[in-house]
Amino acid sequence: MEAIETIAPPKPPIAPKKPGTKETTHCYHCGEKCDHSIAIEDKYFCCEGCKFVFELLQENGLCNYYDLSNTPGIKVKGKFSSDKFAYLDNPDIQKKLLRFTDGKQSQVNFYLPQMHCASCIWLLENLHAIQPGVLHSKTNFQRKEIFIAFDTSVTSLRKVVELLAFVGYEPYISFDDNEKKRTKKVNRQKIYRIGVAGFSFSNIMMLIFPEYFSSGNISETYLVRIFSYLNLLLALPVFFYSASEFFVSAYKGLRQKWLNIDAPIALAILVTFSRSVYEILSGTGAGYLDSMTGVVLFMLIGRWFQDKTYDSFSFDRDYKSYFPLGVTLVKDGVETPVTISELKKGDRVIVRHNEMVPADGILLEGEASIDYSFVSGENNLSIKRKGELIYAGATQSGGSILIEVVNPVTQSYITQLWNNNDVFNGAKHVEKSFVHPWSRYFTWTLFTVAGVGAIYWAVVDTSKILPAVTAALIVACPCSLLLSATFTFGNMLRHFGRNKLYLKNASVIESIARIDTVVFDKTGTLTHTQQARIEFFGTNPGKQQERAIYSLAKQSAHPLSRLLANHLLETGTEPMAISDFKELAGKGVEGRIGDNLIRLGSSSFVRGTEKVAEQGTSEVWVSINDQVLGAYSIHNRYRPGVNKMASWFESQGYDLHVLSGDNDAEKENLQQIFGKNASLVFNQSPQNKLEYIKTLQSGKRKVMMLGDGLNDAGALKQSDVGIAVTENSGQFTPASDAILDSSEINKMDGFVRYARSGKGIVTIGFVVSILYNFVGLSFAVSANLSPLVAAILMPVSTITIVAIAGVASSIVARKTLGN
Amino acid sequence: MSVLVILIALSIIVAGIFLFAFILSVKRGQFDDDYTPSVRMLFDDPPAIKEETV
Amino acid sequence: MQLEKFSYDNKIVRNFAIATIVWGVVGMLVGLWVAFQLVFPKELNLQPYFNFGRLRPLHTNAVIFAFVGNGIFMGVYYSLQRLLKTRMASDLLGKIHFWGWQLIIVAAAITLPLGITTSKEYAELEWPIDIAIAVIWVVFGWNMFATILKRRERHLYVAIWFYIATFVTVAVLHIVNSFELPISFLKSYSWYAGVQDALVQWWYGHNAVAFFLTTPYLGLMYYFMPKAANRPVFSYRLSIIHFWALIFIYIWAGPHHLLYTSLPNWAQSLGIVFSFTLIFPSWGGMINGLLTLRGAWDKVREDVILKFMVVAVTAYGMSTFEGPMLSLKTINAISHFTDWTIAHVHVGGLGWNGMLTFGILYWLIPRIFNTQLYSKRLANIHFWIGTLGILFYAVPMYWAGFTQASMWKQFTETGQLKYQFLETVTYLKPFLATRGFGGALFLAGAIIMMYNLFMTIKQGKLVANEEAEAPALEKVYHKHGSEHWHRWIERKPVQFLVLSLVVILIGGIVEMVPTFLVKSNIPTIASVKPYTPLELQGRDIYVREGCYLCHSQMIRPFRSETERYGEYSKAGEFVYDHPFQWGSKRTGPDLQREGTGNNKKSDLWHFNHMDDPQAISPGSIMPSYSFMIDKNLDTSTTAAKIRAMQTLGVPYEKGYDQIANMELMEQASRIAGNLAKDSVNVPANREIIAIIAYLQRLGTDIEKGKIAENQ
Repeated sequence: MEAIETIAPPKPPIAPKKPGTKETTHCYHCGEKCDHSIAIEDKYFCCEGCKFVFELLQENGLCNYYDLSNTPGIKVKGKFSSDKFAYLDNPDIQKKLLRFTDGKQSQVNFYLPQMHCASCIWLLENLHAIQPGVLHSKTNFQRKEIFIAFDTSVTSLRKVVELLAFVGYEPYISFDDNEKKRTKKVNRQKIYRIGVAGFSFSNIMMLIFPEYFSSGNISETYLVRIFSYLNLLLALPVFFYSASEFFVSAYKGLRQKWLNIDAPIALAILVTFSRSVYEILSGTGAGYLDSMTGVVLFMLIGRWFQDKTYDSFSFDRDYKSYFPLGVTLVKDGVETPVTISELKKGDRVIVRHNEMVPADGILLEGEASIDYSFVSGENNLSIKRKGELIYAGATQSGGSILIEVVNPVTQSYITQLWNNNDVFNGAKHVEKSFVHPWSRYFTWTLFTVAGVGAIYWAVVDTSKILPAVTAALIVACPCSLLLSATFTFGNMLRHFGRNKLYLKNASVIESIARIDTVVFDKTGTLTHTQQARIEFFGTNPGKQQERAIYSLAKQSAHPLSRLLANHLLETGTEPMAISDFKELAGKGVEGRIGDNLIRLGSSSFVRGTEKVAEQGTSEVWVSINDQVLGAYSIHNRYRPGVNKMASWFESQGYDLHVLSGDNDAEKENLQQIFGKNASLVFNQSPQNKLEYIKTLQSGKRKVMMLGDGLNDAGALKQSDVGIAVTENSGQFTPASDAILDSSEINKMDGFVRYARSGKGIVTIGFVVSILYNFVGLSFAVSANLSPLVAAILMPVSTITIVAIAGVASSIVARKTLGN
Repeated sequence: MSVLVILIALSIIVAGIFLFAFILSVKRGQFDDDYTPSVRMLFDDPPAIKEETV
Repeated sequence: MQLEKFSYDNKIVRNFAIATIVWGVVGMLVGLWVAFQLVFPKELNLQPYFNFGRLRPLHTNAVIFAFVGNGIFMGVYYSLQRLLKTRMASDLLGKIHFWGWQLIIVAAAITLPLGITTSKEYAELEWPIDIAIAVIWVVFGWNMFATILKRRERHLYVAIWFYIATFVTVAVLHIVNSFELPISFLKSYSWYAGVQDALVQWWYGHNAVAFFLTTPYLGLMYYFMPKAANRPVFSYRLSIIHFWALIFIYIWAGPHHLLYTSLPNWAQSLGIVFSFTLIFPSWGGMINGLLTLRGAWDKVREDVILKFMVVAVTAYGMSTFEGPMLSLKTINAISHFTDWTIAHVHVGGLGWNGMLTFGILYWLIPRIFNTQLYSKRLANIHFWIGTLGILFYAVPMYWAGFTQASMWKQFTETGQLKYQFLETVTYLKPFLATRGFGGALFLAGAIIMMYNLFMTIKQGKLVANEEAEAPALEKVYHKHGSEHWHRWIERKPVQFLVLSLVVILIGGIVEMVPTFLVKSNIPTIASVKPYTPLELQGRDIYVREGCYLCHSQMIRPFRSETERYGEYSKAGEFVYDHPFQWGSKRTGPDLQREGTGNNKKSDLWHFNHMDDPQAISPGSIMPSYSFMIDKNLDTSTTAAKIRAMQTLGVPYEKGYDQIANMELMEQASRIAGNLAKDSVNVPANREIIAIIAYLQRLGTDIEKGKIAENQ
């Protein structure tokens, strides 16, 4: 999971407050805490990488980058091996990626998860200043996309990507990620519809008002006629184009014997339109076209408002998205980049530092220190020796290794997850919104009212039957119900988003409201992946020794060394010069400072004796000149506020479960956090987790699962609400219904409370609309509904409902989410 | 009041022209991105005079 | 073909900037003059050329079309180039546009004092100038669209949409409203008569405000405010919605200028509703503007440019809130015809247009001259006295408005009107004086700015061609590019569209208007007859002297007005009025029934009153028109005028133009005779006779009708 290593401190798009305070220095490029060892003039950098990027921008006169917002840069990940992107030279891959090429010029769209501020836009659109051959680059900030056109004779796809990756914006490259394009098309359709409806509505208003204010007796009768015919003309596109989606979905519903909310709406529109046509053509009135176009306009806006989801996220990735596109195949000595799908049993593949093992394979050469956290959830490295089997999905750190494929990707262990479970094929079934049944009752009541009216008039005055019935159907359209739902949920989506819980769509709100069971993944969800609780045991090192240890740890890319270095940086130490530095994969690091030889690493490496670290923790042993000082024990740290959140769920009678890929070392801690009733299960494989959810559900449980990483993917997909927890929204997340920024996990209780309030708010809006309907119907069945009344009732009720939806959902948001 | 007919016709024609422009521009993807342009328009000033905002 | 080097044309921007400054000061100076003419009528009205009636249109035209107009072009030429990353399409068209526009302004400055006017507010210029305006406007549009076509930035920033809207709608409005029938090189009659003319005029009049003073300035706001604050606009999406919402409804707000008039009720209500709806998009824009500065208020405190802009946007908010209010019948009943309207427009004019223009100038001049502003201190002084000026202007005018209205409407317990009109006039003098002071402050500020910017220009050096570079506009290829229905139109150059639009409109109107209007002018009131030749000549003098600027001819159906002026106005009375003379302000009393009832005055009274108003009605602020006593009436035009009227459907019998002058002289000598009886000896061929004839005719038709009925 390379993204993890490239976390940019989240920043607002424009001018964040300066992080640089007196005591702590921050990297001028990426804003991360750092020491003063790497500097240009008064600017300090956390690593050579950042400094390098800065220099690059400087010599291309792009330092405006740093003026537009402070420390906009992205921490440069360990320099990727030169041919990491070699596969981009492969024509097939290019063909798949490029959206256009004519041999001379190529155009490509990339998704850049790291894009986060104005500076990013500026830099990315000035790529041509750095890379000759880049003709044109345009970003779309909200989609985090960039469009690049380049001259293939000067540069290449690979060069462009390498440049992007180098300045910190490594593109997320995947073949099956084109769902974005589709949504774009849909949205445009909606906008046309709204535009047309808006145009017709405003012009019809203009032409209908004379009718109202002259109460029908304009001296110039020919004007009246012209007006009403123009109205008819203007209404046509609304009826046939803008409103079409209501008819379509109503029809679909009816075909499945299911009266969905669009059915009565479609009916209302149809009746309104036909009665207006009749009135206009027969010259008996001006019709209700303004009401009709208005209703359509407002409902379209409502839908659009609600459909607006988060373009820059992808909620349905499957395992393919996690695997490298191309791998380096070795055939009799020559390395050739091939697409992962081409891998066959028996192929030999090179896996480099930080790369993922593409398929189950046997280790042939090199020292493999493998990180399975991605697959299993365990977060310690395991060392593999020649001949051992390595499962796909593991990440190699250290030198590069050579493996021989035993299972092609499609059958590899991790892939089984998907292939064996129908979960991943076909959309998960979402319960129908409560709005639909309501609208059904609504419709039936409406029909009864209309019917009664009809019967009454049949007795009293048959000529009034038709007016009464049609009028009833016109005023009492359930659009108000739809509106109160769409606007409430639309607004709630926004509030969730503001608190960094990004929902796939509005229906998730209702699902969250329904859940009664919450399942947490431990590693990475409840615990930090970036911070740790670090204690030293043994003879405490002195200041100088600490400096030495820091300097050494700083040199290593190993996750544990990173944690250690950050930990020591807190004490504000400065590094010292190191000579003959060695990093031994899977063992540790060593180096000379002055004439002292310092070792950091596993017990076996530092002390020569194997020691299994206490469960749930990792140990980094320290020796100076072969004299062992002791070890740093590194425990994972729970995210703040987890207790409070958990206890709320407990108090509310949710039953809680924690699934962990790790062993039960943390049992006690977890038990006291989640209460005695919570069930804690350990050593769970991804498959187990999935089954676990299934069993819960078979007990009629509505399950919400929070997890990160691929190891939870199955469970997330299976559960009624799957929430992917991530350190930064740019990071890749497994298929899920929602994406939650890990820093906000303590707000989970608030989120659920908020979701539950949604239905109430909608109900309020609906009740109000019912009241309006009573007024309208009373006019209608008494067969004297003037277009004016209709035209007043319609917008007034709409506006009240929208107002209620907006205000209520905002107030509740402040109460439950604290803003 | 026949002049009204003229004025209304004109108003609708003008509105129609703009509707056409609207549809066209949406089709051309003018409004696909409704954030970046507002930032982009700030860039064209060379940094040299940027501080010069009186 | 990598990066394209090009340069922005700053020369044209500088020219328009200088024009803006100079004309601004001139226009405000004239404004100050007319303001004080109302306080010192005798001293400041230099007849005939510099009477209030001739100078006031000069003021409005100068500030709207010269000051704001040049301001718009300055801003557009600066921002358009940079937003589209390209130089203007043609420097030549730019030059033509610039010099053409300045010539038009000069022409206006000459013709208006000469009394050459159509008497349609904000469209007073006569037909040759109207044509020139249309041509130059198209030149501007051509240049703009050509630039858009050769742009290097695919997206059209929202400001550009506002510019486009400005171009299209102003073209339409101008053409429709200045549809007139020439009778000589510098004289024409409006094609429309009475109510219709009024409706068209205010449809134009309101939209002139909408699309000349508002939409382009919103565009400028959306460009220069983010620039000055160096932060993106609060919500770009909102700005897009703002534009489209505005564009779909703004066009129809005109009739609210004619509430309680003879305009059909429903048409008035229409105006009300749409004017009222406007508050939503307008405030959307204002809020968007102000929120752009959220979290930057510290910046605002030290950055004078932002101060100007904040005041401007606030003023915009105020007047766009006040506008809809004023278009509500109940409020309009009070505000209309009073100084309230004057206050309203000046909050918009001085606040929104003035302050924003100043802000832009302070921001832009140092940039194109590559230097710092000469003195921030002076700029700050300008800001403060400018703002003070607005207050000193608006407050007394609002006050005057209320007082005037209430005095007009007050009755004694015996049911008599409490105040003579003259009393209301004299009572208002102190307010008018204070207003003048406010104007003086504002002008002083402008002059300080003039100096400040002049020094800035002197210390800097114009970057005539500002170097820039940008990648060429990439054609976006689609993997499977299907031929869309709209492709055919895209292939045609936009200029063609623009031109054809203009042509179609002109053509279409020429087609329909005459047939339409002439037919629809059949008198609905039998006793209403065409004007006699002398009255017609008198009426043209009335138009020439701009009497309509102080005297309405529209009695609204309120007791206070029918008591004071007589029976309320009927649409049918105006069918022969080319152009209509309803007026929009009552600095003096209404004149529609001047010739009848208790308003009826002797020829002698009129003679003396024209000669020396103050002598007849002490405290009057009307200018003297004694020059009419010595000026001969030009009767050579009579025949042509009659023929023109016939073309417009006024039922003079055939061949009447031949005998017209004869009848004219008869009537003239009758009046001269009357005056002679009162031992005032004046030749019958003097203008004064004609104007008296016209005034005495006013409102008599209805009376005749009544008498006829009684018999």
